[in-house]
Amino acid sequence: MIPIENYLVLSATLFSIGLMIVVIKRNAIAVLLGLELMLNAANINLVAFNLAHPERLDGQMFAVFVIIVAACEAAVGLAIILQAYRVFHTAVPDSISTLKES
Amino acid sequence: MSRADIIFLLPHLMLTLGAVLVMMAIAVRRNHFAVYVLTCLTLIVALYFLPKTASLPHNVGVLFVVDGLGVFNTMIIMLAALAVALMSYAYFDTREERTGEYYMLFILATFGACIMVISGHFVSFFLGLEILSVSLYGMIAYLRKRERSDEAGIKYLILAAFSSAFLLFGMALIYAATGDMTFEGLSGYFSAFDELPILVMTGVGLVVVGAGFKLSVVPFHMWTPDVYEGAPAPVAAFISTISKGATMVLLVRFFLAIDGFRFPVVLTIFTVISIASMVVGNILALRQQNVKRILAYSSIAHFGYLLVAFIAADELGVEAVNFYLVAYFATMLGAFGVVTVLSHPERDAELLDDYRGLLWSRPALATVFVVTLLSLAGIPLTAGFVAKFYLLASGISTNQWLLVILLVVNSIVGLFYYIRIVAVMFDSAEEREARPAGYVGNFATLLILVVLLVWFGVSPQGLIDVIRNLVGVG
Repeated sequence: MIPIENYLVLSATLFSIGLMIVVIKRNAIAVLLGLELMLNAANINLVAFNLAHPERLDGQMFAVFVIIVAACEAAVGLAIILQAYRVFHTAVPDSISTLKES
Repeated sequence: MSRADIIFLLPHLMLTLGAVLVMMAIAVRRNHFAVYVLTCLTLIVALYFLPKTASLPHNVGVLFVVDGLGVFNTMIIMLAALAVALMSYAYFDTREERTGEYYMLFILATFGACIMVISGHFVSFFLGLEILSVSLYGMIAYLRKRERSDEAGIKYLILAAFSSAFLLFGMALIYAATGDMTFEGLSGYFSAFDELPILVMTGVGLVVVGAGFKLSVVPFHMWTPDVYEGAPAPVAAFISTISKGATMVLLVRFFLAIDGFRFPVVLTIFTVISIASMVVGNILALRQQNVKRILAYSSIAHFGYLLVAFIAADELGVEAVNFYLVAYFATMLGAFGVVTVLSHPERDAELLDDYRGLLWSRPALATVFVVTLLSLAGIPLTAGFVAKFYLLASGISTNQWLLVILLVVNSIVGLFYYIRIVAVMFDSAEEREARPAGYVGNFATLLILVVLLVWFGVSPQGLIDVIRNLVGVG
């Protein structure tokens, strides 16, 4: 059996990669991809650590909910990005700046 | 799920039913007024079905804890939602956008907030928060033709999703270390420790980051002014009251359960956040010319104040948090209500110039705004003063002297920018274009809010008793 620490290392690595993508990438769609990666990193943790309590399924159940939430977030997110693209003709949030300190 | 469980969750079920009904009503025929009435009815019916205090507390499975704290805050959230709904009608009626879907998102967001305040498990915590935020994305970007609304939507989307990923990872780490996700189970686990293991500490830290974003406390506040400025005024009112209040109640429940303030690390983190929020919020507000941004920074500072009572974390502290939330809700709703009423179909009334001479041209409205600003500043005879007094009392009783002193100093700094808005309203009147006709719902809401603000300021005892009874039960 794979030692439980390995799951932790894997999920932390994935989370960090997702974090890097969100911070570095400028395109909003790439940022959404990074966010999905971060959520799924947490999912790996939830499912893996359910192994320690096989009689309870709370970790796996939570993971299913997270998948649903991630799908909703992506759907609404893409809709908003599309709308912003229609108005601003760009999907790069940094180059949109109608809101400023006065 | 037993019959009793369903009865205790009836208010929440009514909200979901209302959202579905609104969706169907839009599919049949688009009628703004009908959808609006349906929304208000949903909220009123949900309020009617709130559980009676005598039967509390009641656990629904492991997910929900319907106790005094939860029921009281569900009530406050629904009343605040009702006020926002009344404001929204006038606001969206004068704008060309399609209006129906707004109310569906609105009911769902309220539902998410109501789930948060009764959640006793990470799953309900996360789902409530996500229902609230995903609905808010849509609400913020609702005025599609307005550039700034779209920009605010995209900013909120990215940052909120980012912070909920942190929150989720934090929960996963706590679960990894403890193998439990209920607040009750975690409380047993945490009490066994004098020092937090590194994995749990990281987890708690990430949860604080996620929740701190929702509360918009420094250093997670960057989005606040932009989103408040870009979002439609009623939505800004919703974010500043319901979204923040629900998160605060949830944090109170979580940290009381795990008794988080036994650990010096947690205490230090929250003390730093509180001080930073007070100072940064007030200082940045000083130079603003935009009323919505001033209110945004002011709300950042207010949650810095509120954390003083949160850190106290005893019975008095919880009472203070609840009282403060009521006063803050009424005040912020009043302030954004005035902004809503004055808003022009093309743009919101957000520049200081929009308020010049308001006292002479619209005396009643100006009076309402003055009362809310004084309450925000914490002047005696308003609810804001009693609330701040309560915070000070709970801070002093737990010997948080540094926080108490900073709270007082910051309140004085805050006075300056609130009074500046009042001063602008006193200026001589100038010619202004005619405003769209008023709506009864708007004025009734504002009147009730002002009466409440003064009433809680003059004789707070009634509200204090209610809070003490309810919170004492849990």
